[in-house]
Amino acid sequence: MNLVLIFLIIIFSSSLFFYGRSKTKSLAISGNIKLNALPKFYGYYLVLWCSIPALVFLLIWSLFEPVIIKSIIIDTAAKQGAIFNDKNEANLVYEKIKAIHLGTYLGELDSILKESALAYAKFINIFTNSKVVLIFGIIIASTLYSLKKIKNNNKARDDVEVILKGLLFVSSLIAILTTLGIILSLLFESIKFFSVINIFDYLFGTNWSPQRAFVRDASSITPAEYQELKDAFGFVPLIAGTGFIAFLAMLVAVPVGLFSGIYMAEYASLRVRRFSKPVIEILAGIPTVVYGFFAALTVGPFFRQVGENFGLTVSSESALAAGLIMGIMIIPYVSSLSDDVINSVPQSLRDGSYAVGATKSETIKKVVIPAALPGIIGSILLAVSRAIGETMIVVMAAGLAANLTINPLESTTTITTQIVMILVGDQEFDSPKTQSAFALGLTLFIATLILNFIAQRAVKKYREKYD
Amino acid sequence: MTKEERLKKRHSAEKRFRFYGLASIFVALLFVLILVQNIFSKGSSAFKKTVIKTEVFYNQELLELKNGASEKDIINADFYEVMIESLIKSFPAKNIDEENELIRLFSADAEYEIKKAFLNNNNLIGEKIILDLTASDDIDQLHKGNYPRDLPEDRRRISNFQLAIYDNFVENDKISKNFNNYYFTKGDSRDPELAGIGGAIVGSIYSILICLLLAFPVAVLASIYLEEFAPKNKITDFIEININNLAAVPSIVYGLLALQILLATIQLPRSTPLVAGITLALMTLPRIIIPCRASLKAVPPSIREGALAVGASKFQSVFHHVVPLAMPGTLSGTIIGLAQALGETAPLILIGMVAFVVDIPSSPIDPSSSLPVQVYLWSESAERGFVEKTSATIMILLTFLMMMNFLAVYLRQKFEKRWN
Amino acid sequence: MNKVKIKSKNLNVHYGQKQALFDVNLDLNEKEVTALIGPSGCGKSTFIRCINRMNDVIDICKVTGNIEIDGVEVNDENLDVVSLRERVGMVFQKPNPFPKSIYENISYGPKIHGKGDTKSELDEIVENSLKKSALWEEVKDRLDEPGTSLSGGQQQRLCIARAISVNPEVILMDEPCSALDPIATAKIEELIDDLKKTYTIVIVTHSMAQAVRVSQKTGFFHLGKLIEVGKTEKIFKNPDNKMTQDYITGRFG
Repeated sequence: MNLVLIFLIIIFSSSLFFYGRSKTKSLAISGNIKLNALPKFYGYYLVLWCSIPALVFLLIWSLFEPVIIKSIIIDTAAKQGAIFNDKNEANLVYEKIKAIHLGTYLGELDSILKESALAYAKFINIFTNSKVVLIFGIIIASTLYSLKKIKNNNKARDDVEVILKGLLFVSSLIAILTTLGIILSLLFESIKFFSVINIFDYLFGTNWSPQRAFVRDASSITPAEYQELKDAFGFVPLIAGTGFIAFLAMLVAVPVGLFSGIYMAEYASLRVRRFSKPVIEILAGIPTVVYGFFAALTVGPFFRQVGENFGLTVSSESALAAGLIMGIMIIPYVSSLSDDVINSVPQSLRDGSYAVGATKSETIKKVVIPAALPGIIGSILLAVSRAIGETMIVVMAAGLAANLTINPLESTTTITTQIVMILVGDQEFDSPKTQSAFALGLTLFIATLILNFIAQRAVKKYREKYD
Repeated sequence: MTKEERLKKRHSAEKRFRFYGLASIFVALLFVLILVQNIFSKGSSAFKKTVIKTEVFYNQELLELKNGASEKDIINADFYEVMIESLIKSFPAKNIDEENELIRLFSADAEYEIKKAFLNNNNLIGEKIILDLTASDDIDQLHKGNYPRDLPEDRRRISNFQLAIYDNFVENDKISKNFNNYYFTKGDSRDPELAGIGGAIVGSIYSILICLLLAFPVAVLASIYLEEFAPKNKITDFIEININNLAAVPSIVYGLLALQILLATIQLPRSTPLVAGITLALMTLPRIIIPCRASLKAVPPSIREGALAVGASKFQSVFHHVVPLAMPGTLSGTIIGLAQALGETAPLILIGMVAFVVDIPSSPIDPSSSLPVQVYLWSESAERGFVEKTSATIMILLTFLMMMNFLAVYLRQKFEKRWN
Repeated sequence: MNKVKIKSKNLNVHYGQKQALFDVNLDLNEKEVTALIGPSGCGKSTFIRCINRMNDVIDICKVTGNIEIDGVEVNDENLDVVSLRERVGMVFQKPNPFPKSIYENISYGPKIHGKGDTKSELDEIVENSLKKSALWEEVKDRLDEPGTSLSGGQQQRLCIARAISVNPEVILMDEPCSALDPIATAKIEELIDDLKKTYTIVIVTHSMAQAVRVSQKTGFFHLGKLIEVGKTEKIFKNPDNKMTQDYITGRFG
């Protein structure tokens, strides 16, 4: 239905283009009027006026129609005597009613369902008809309006450009909408979560085991139940595990990345650089699931084998394996950025150092790196934010149990791993367990936001200094 | 310390420093090599499958079909008896246990393969023909040399009896390796020998196309606005900060966004390429806007001034001159963004693409998997056959990514103008 | 007349395909200021950068021929560039202090060369260098401030102090005043006059007036060739070559 409507709108508005163009042309010739824009702009003008209001209306309608119909149907079903204990049951009944309407329902029919299905069909009909009528009304009204405007020989090009500019502006607003969407969707569930679990109990609790959290009725939790719940949602082991794995990753990524960045910027010949830079950047282009697979199936078992040979117990999901592989993944983030940053240190500083007889490495260590330091720190912070937000490597190669440990040979878990573990498969909304994933997401979002903000400020400041 | 000693020390420090740099690059390159070598050595065998030449007897007594039966009748007919009968004849078994072991050498699809041969030629009643039947995963892995046969029997998935049959088959040239058509055409399966990435590839293609259709136009329009039209004010600054931050938001957060908004609020269908495409588009958008803006910025002001000077409007100067010149950079940025989206896994897991999907999706609103999610799913499976399949899937995924990146580089080098 | 300190014989320099210097033969005297003049791109900067082998920094640059300092070949592959540059300091066109404190800017050279092992020795070197470059009075109370916070002329004198700090024999100056205002320029010129008592100085300059003011000997370069060299007075009053004549009277340049 919607597709047909869109198609009709497009056909109609594009035919208006030709109409508008020829009309203004003939108008201009017969009336000997000087047009303010080329005839085709009058065509464009009509097209935009005719299609945009109708399409926007259709979009908004389609977004709200299902929600409204759903609440009406659930209401009518309730009036007929259906009893819903919670939202899930209501959803189920609604799905059943929909299925009856489509003729795909295979279960038993009772009178309530039958009646509701009829009501559903009725409402769908009403909604569809009124949608079609309204859309045609809008098209006709906006077309008449725009045709009238053209007659007055308005400046069609300017008007078209104003509308297009609006379109451009709206496109750039999508970024803000996305951010808003992220914040709202995280906050919405997090607030529910924090209304059950005290935020300080969450931030400072040292025990994380959401699989133990069963809540019969979220609206009335006894103090004893709360004690148990509190113990299931302690954030400390997660931030510790996340930080620990990120730290191990940085132990690999910072020296290797920094040294290769320095080598490429200062020593490498053009040929070496042209070859090695893209090859190192391959590391950033490999999907993280590939690293996860490699870490879980090759590196983890390899470390355990090596550990056994030395008489050490190494978990096959050790923090070491996950951290090492994550570090390798991050190398190009450090190396490329620090390469750029070092390259933008002015040559005159190097010349000054060479001129007093410093060797190349002395120049790099004592002049170039100190000068590039804010930029380098910025790139390392970006890499850290990358590491704590990384998901697949830790989901596949790090553990699931939240251990508070600083032994890299043991397994530990991270924020992202827990989000995936909680939300994978079927989840029931409205349980603290599911909501906790959003609280974790919010925490992660804020942490990476702060890191990025500082990093970008540092890099920007540095750029301004030498540009 | 004399001057000479000191100099010597400084020079060796120089050499050491240089060596660290070179060694670091070498470590990174070495890792790329090890990873690729590891994946390829594990995965390349997945493109072949082991088949067993078996004589199939379309026994009239066991089939309720006649020669020339219609396609519908054949599809509805039961070939189970024919299969059992043919399989146990392939090697002398003494008792029912041994017969079961023998049957387990073949894939669960043996009946279907026998049926398919009959579909191709419906005059086989009473005939005996030789068919290449797909072997079970255990035999497949054994034949490819991935499975150790020198373990004690109780630690092996293959019994001594099955080993004897296998050896006999090898001796009689009944076992061979064919091109693994199942791997490319089938959907997911619990049996490694029957599992394929057909569904995942189709799912990935749908997702990426939707992502492209949504992200590309919006990204281009937004970049044009920000680079060419946006006034210098707080709103513009705010949009820019937003874009930069969004580009660095962990991908899993986009999964949470999709879960809450697309699935819970708008109630789009779970596990579908449609939702995946929208999620990836939101994620990719800032990552495309950034290179788009860079290539718009690289077009020198003289071009704009030239157009304005002949009386073009601001819009005309931008759309007729600046945008076409920036297109190569824009396209290559888009392709690189899409390549990242193609490899993205975490948000897709959250929107339910980890569902077990056997059918190949026929539209973007059918439940589906995607290539990287398939890698994740299979890597969790214990069977040896899945290790091979996972690695092969990674090979396919990397090949796609490589092609996209080459295309991006090619576009840039071939069409991009250098302004100096 | 002082003895010859630096001697170049048939010096040729190529940047990739392009030849920048053609068979330059030039003697530079000890404890004297030699000015090199000529239009831009004539090779004078290239020439002084050969003396301390700063051209090594540029990949595509190839130097052939000889340059000797006290009879020792500079272009010898086995010669240690680091100790060469310790003996031959350089001041650049634009002041390029390190983004560090004034103190560190000057102590940097002595530290890497192992001169001044103790703090007090270093302090002394820093003080002496700043005094020699006539900057001490202006900065003695703020040695911890970044070198980049000084004015342009002060920055350039800081760079001269930095060059002096390792106690070189030769100081090369590549248009040291081109980025400075007239007052700062006058100060630097005064300083150069003072420094020539201790050091051999080679200065590249665009300003003929400056060459007259500071130098005892002048060489005129054109299109990579050394056209004429001689006592400054002679070059500016009565040059042998027609081209030199045209240049100093402002007919081209």
